[in-house]
Amino acid sequence: METLGFTLRYKLGLTGTKIGCDRAECGACTVLVDGVPHYSCSLLTHSVRGREVASIEGLEAEDGTLHPMQQAVLEEQGFQCAFCMSGFIMNTVALLNENSSPTRKEAAEWLSGNLCRCADYDKILTSVMRAAEITRGA
Amino acid sequence: MAVIRDVIPQLELFQPTSADDALALLAEHGSDAWVYAGGLDTLDWFKDRVKRPRVVVDLGGVESLKEIRSTADGIEIGAMARLIDVVNNSDIRSQFPALAFAARSAASPQIRNVGTIGGNVTQDTRCWYYRDGWTCYRAGGNICYASPPTAMNREHCILGASRCVAVNPSDTAPVLVALEAEMVIRRGSAERVVSAEDYFVGPDIDIERMTVLEPGDLLTSIRVPSTWADARVYFEKVRDRDTWDFPLVNVATAMQESGGTIQDARVVVNGVAPTPVRLRAVENAIRGQARNEQTAEQAGNVAIQGVAPLTHNGFKVNLLKNLVKRSIRDEPMSL
Amino acid sequence: MADYKLLGKNYQTPDLYAKVTGRAKYAEDHRAEGMVFCKLLVSPMPHARVRSIDSSAAEALPGFEGILTYDDVPEATAPGETSLTKEPRYEGEPILAVAAVDEQTAAAAIELIDIDLEPLEFVLDPLDSLRPGGPNARTEGNTMIGRELGEIKWTEADVAGLDAGQISMEAEAGAEWEYGDLAAGFAEADVIIEEHSYHQSLSHQPLESRTTMAYWEGGKLYVYPSVQSTARAVGPMARHAGIEPSDVVLINEFTGGGFGSKGSGYPQAQIPILLSKKIGKPVMMRVTRRDETSFGKARPGVQARIKLGMRRDGRITALDIHAIGDGGPYGRSGDHMNVGVIGSLAYQPVAMRMRGTGVYTNTPPRGAQRAPGGEQSMTMLSPIIQKAAKQLGLDQVEVLKINAPAGQATFGAPGRDGRRSNVSSAFAREAIDKGAELFNWRERVQRSGRRNGSTVTGIGVALSTFAAGASGVDGLFVIKPDGRMYIKSGIGPLGTGSTFDMMRAAAEGVDMPWERCEVAWGNTSRHLPWSCTQGGSSTTHAHTRANWAAALDARQKMQEIAARDLGGSPSDYEIGGERVYRRGNRSQGMSFARAAQRAIDLGGTYDGHELPGDINGMTTASATALAGQGLMGVAKDNFEEGGRRMSFVAGFAEVEVDVETGEIRLVDYAAGCDVGTVIHPKNFEGQVFGGAIQGFSVALSQKWVYDRRWGLLMAKRFYSNRPPGILDVPYEQPMKWGNADLPDPFNPLGAKGIGEAAQGAGSGAVVVAIADALGEENGDFFRSPITRDMILTQLEQAPTGHDRLTAHV
Repeated sequence: METLGFTLRYKLGLTGTKIGCDRAECGACTVLVDGVPHYSCSLLTHSVRGREVASIEGLEAEDGTLHPMQQAVLEEQGFQCAFCMSGFIMNTVALLNENSSPTRKEAAEWLSGNLCRCADYDKILTSVMRAAEITRGA
Repeated sequence: MAVIRDVIPQLELFQPTSADDALALLAEHGSDAWVYAGGLDTLDWFKDRVKRPRVVVDLGGVESLKEIRSTADGIEIGAMARLIDVVNNSDIRSQFPALAFAARSAASPQIRNVGTIGGNVTQDTRCWYYRDGWTCYRAGGNICYASPPTAMNREHCILGASRCVAVNPSDTAPVLVALEAEMVIRRGSAERVVSAEDYFVGPDIDIERMTVLEPGDLLTSIRVPSTWADARVYFEKVRDRDTWDFPLVNVATAMQESGGTIQDARVVVNGVAPTPVRLRAVENAIRGQARNEQTAEQAGNVAIQGVAPLTHNGFKVNLLKNLVKRSIRDEPMSL
Repeated sequence: MADYKLLGKNYQTPDLYAKVTGRAKYAEDHRAEGMVFCKLLVSPMPHARVRSIDSSAAEALPGFEGILTYDDVPEATAPGETSLTKEPRYEGEPILAVAAVDEQTAAAAIELIDIDLEPLEFVLDPLDSLRPGGPNARTEGNTMIGRELGEIKWTEADVAGLDAGQISMEAEAGAEWEYGDLAAGFAEADVIIEEHSYHQSLSHQPLESRTTMAYWEGGKLYVYPSVQSTARAVGPMARHAGIEPSDVVLINEFTGGGFGSKGSGYPQAQIPILLSKKIGKPVMMRVTRRDETSFGKARPGVQARIKLGMRRDGRITALDIHAIGDGGPYGRSGDHMNVGVIGSLAYQPVAMRMRGTGVYTNTPPRGAQRAPGGEQSMTMLSPIIQKAAKQLGLDQVEVLKINAPAGQATFGAPGRDGRRSNVSSAFAREAIDKGAELFNWRERVQRSGRRNGSTVTGIGVALSTFAAGASGVDGLFVIKPDGRMYIKSGIGPLGTGSTFDMMRAAAEGVDMPWERCEVAWGNTSRHLPWSCTQGGSSTTHAHTRANWAAALDARQKMQEIAARDLGGSPSDYEIGGERVYRRGNRSQGMSFARAAQRAIDLGGTYDGHELPGDINGMTTASATALAGQGLMGVAKDNFEEGGRRMSFVAGFAEVEVDVETGEIRLVDYAAGCDVGTVIHPKNFEGQVFGGAIQGFSVALSQKWVYDRRWGLLMAKRFYSNRPPGILDVPYEQPMKWGNADLPDPFNPLGAKGIGEAAQGAGSGAVVVAIADALGEENGDFFRSPITRDMILTQLEQAPTGHDRLTAHV
């Protein structure tokens, strides 16, 4: 019985998804399953059979065009150590698919299951709001 | 044997695709089998190598258990419906918003995307001694580590202790009890219905279980009758942080009010005892009274009669009193 | 403030693209061919001795690859910490490591090991150890006396009040210092506040644990740790391996946080280093979150008695502190004494005495955590100052300003010659004014105590200070004939952005556009210079200086080359627009690219064949490897020193306390800073608010909880340890920061550090705001964190089960 996080990182060579706690308490391992944010550390791999899994590596387009959240992070210098970053970015992708005009509060509530120990929350939320702006502008 | 608290040990995994298949597996393997719903409670035990069943029955493929549907007399929620499905379901939101509110207050968004209401209501206690693998009564031993005066019991019970002082940590449970929900349990081909209030088991009855479920049983759905659909239902949860944390104390009060007078009420609290507690004395005290500050105050005082706090959880007495008071005095919080 | 092209401007750091696309590799992301995995057998007891180990069944398991025990690692000289031990001194201390083909096998192997442990006496609370006859955490004693392990026990008279939660101010202390006339100071005071105060121990908990991978090849050690520093981590890794630093290749391009716990290494890195050497295969040691909480270091808690005298105008005339530091079982922590040092700077008491003892306990090993001792100082002293101010009817901001340091203010303990240290600059009052303005103090302070249903508002301010700069390290870069600038950064990638931000000083110094710069970092085979440790907020100051020195060196060389080739003297030439040219005649000059080629032609000092004699050996080796590639800028920072660099942050907080539930909502926070020149505003903001939020968690939620009977930690995980989530901090609108913008006169670029001063500002402001909300009658806590139960027990006079000073409850 293996978790999706371990399968991604050790069987598929996709190390962009990080393990911060392995106990569903930090969100560093967040990926999208059928577009819905999940803690990959707490999902047994067999349960994604036949489903679409999206991790950070799959976010940029073939031609290298970045997702608005990736672009926004670059513009706003979001995150510090960035160990939590891929989890936050994937979760934001889902947020913006659901609501491209979140308030800062709605964004915080959506992202409440992601921990940042550097506590860059303020700048992260600014990046999310910028990402929403880019999304709407596109 | 040295102890290591990491890496899921070898287990035998079954993935039934129907409730019948799942029940057959549970019947066959009896106490060797572990029911795996959303997995959040389960994976903690497995990763820490504290609980190591031989067989795991993963219900993730049993679609029939995931439905939420309106019935003639209410809503039937499949046990495998995710918390997020409960939060977003339009029928639940319009008829039982407190249930959606309580489901939304549980854990974190990613956990709610996977965790089930059946799991949330059936979840094991979070006593940190028990969770860390200490062999206490609940784990089949003959001691409680949380009750002595030197023990760390800030999060433990102030009511209903019986050798074990752990609490039930569910947020949806007290709401379901307040709404007079019924738990539909199947065993083999038989089906029985147990009221939510009777679903939970205290240590005085069975110190090793939180609910009536025995090996072979499967919670298949939760029926919420429309009895309290138009009622004023208040839910509040107090915890240390605004995400992830389990309740220190929570309260669910369903009230029929008419012309400012309380016709009937069901007041249920959790986080204070090994099971959700229905505060009948409070209900009796407020029935027929005007819904006002005074009545609310009185309700709070009645709520804490007979509490037996431990060394470090005296604050829960105040919190219980105040939450019961607020549940009567204040407007339910909106979704 | 000087007008810079690069400094003070936002830009995208070179590491960010890799991070956002998931390409960035942290320690656990690396793979090596034939790599095996190790798991740890750790102590289940707070203090024990191993009687016997039988690993035969484990070794027979298919897939078992190797075992490393305490016999395989050098013993530490007490009170040092080693990687594997026969006498574990805290729950979770590693005893041995097993390597296997996968983690499943390694875990199964651990379970097959028969280990017999003899339980030894343990102690959790320093005060218990100070009692006569009280237990000691170590068999040799409970504290350091001079350079030796020894014992301090208080007398029966000393501890008479201890059961009631009282420390005797005069009981024996391991260290003490004082200045001024304390008695006169108290005599002059119009109000005296005397309180006992407790600050919790708490784990650093970086999101990335100290997972480490290592292998040996060709006699060299290749190690992939999770460390804060790059240049400074080489030495410790070499020591773990028992080899020369020149035989270490350290690869660490991305680190997931440290906050002081991974400053330049950690003992457990030795495990995969020696295990991989023993079995001849790469070893990945994935440190679990649980293990990280055990040995990932923690901030020392402090229990103190504090007596403060304030004159009616708000001036602090006397401060007397007796503090006990919780030192864990190893090392020598000075946090508790630093409470006085940092307090003496922030508040400039007219007279002061600081007495303290560090006591060992069987709890996780301690290490510096963001503003070690300094954050505790702000958190513990701020509410006492506020209480005095309120009793005198004074405004909190005015009181902080009256006492604030300025110029090259003195602070700390008197030295042997009676003289005290001084800072290089202090614009604390300006920082306070800046913050007060941003926060709208005058208006907001009116909200103090205002009720809104069951919530009451509290407003608080705190002045925080901490170290802000090392010096004396080296800068190194080469401008090549392609006209591009190749800058070497030995600064670790722990997340502050300094790895790159400080290199901008080099580019600024030669007026090189940033797009034509490349930074090498994160891998010691890339010829990096000697750098400071990424800790102590040292880097900004140290490396702006060092890189500026290297830039000046390059400028001088280019001027010399131009004069040699084009006539005149070097001082006739200036640098600009990627050219070195005759002053007043741009066409008479040469491009950087040409100058670089000429440097190679001329050799000597120009291209690094001859090097300055005062640079560090590491820089010399790196520069030597780069010789002949272009025009080299290489220099040691020999700029003038004007005192210890310290920065200042004034934190302002508004909170709402629900008196019925004990919930505390952080409504808003603002910070006014004195950091000299800000190098990169967005990264700076990350430090100000990141530090503040870590301060909030000290004030509100994060702590350990220990079972006192068994000596075991109950709060091992995030959800029991409670670091703050996004909803626990102000999130509805961005927080605000401002800078006094007054350069430090002793740094050529005026810059000081920020990371640490920011934390005490957050924790201090919040504890003060909570006290403000609950007023004189109910606002006395003097204990952190202030949790729901504390609010409720205070308001409703409920029993607490512990006294104010009890540790780890």
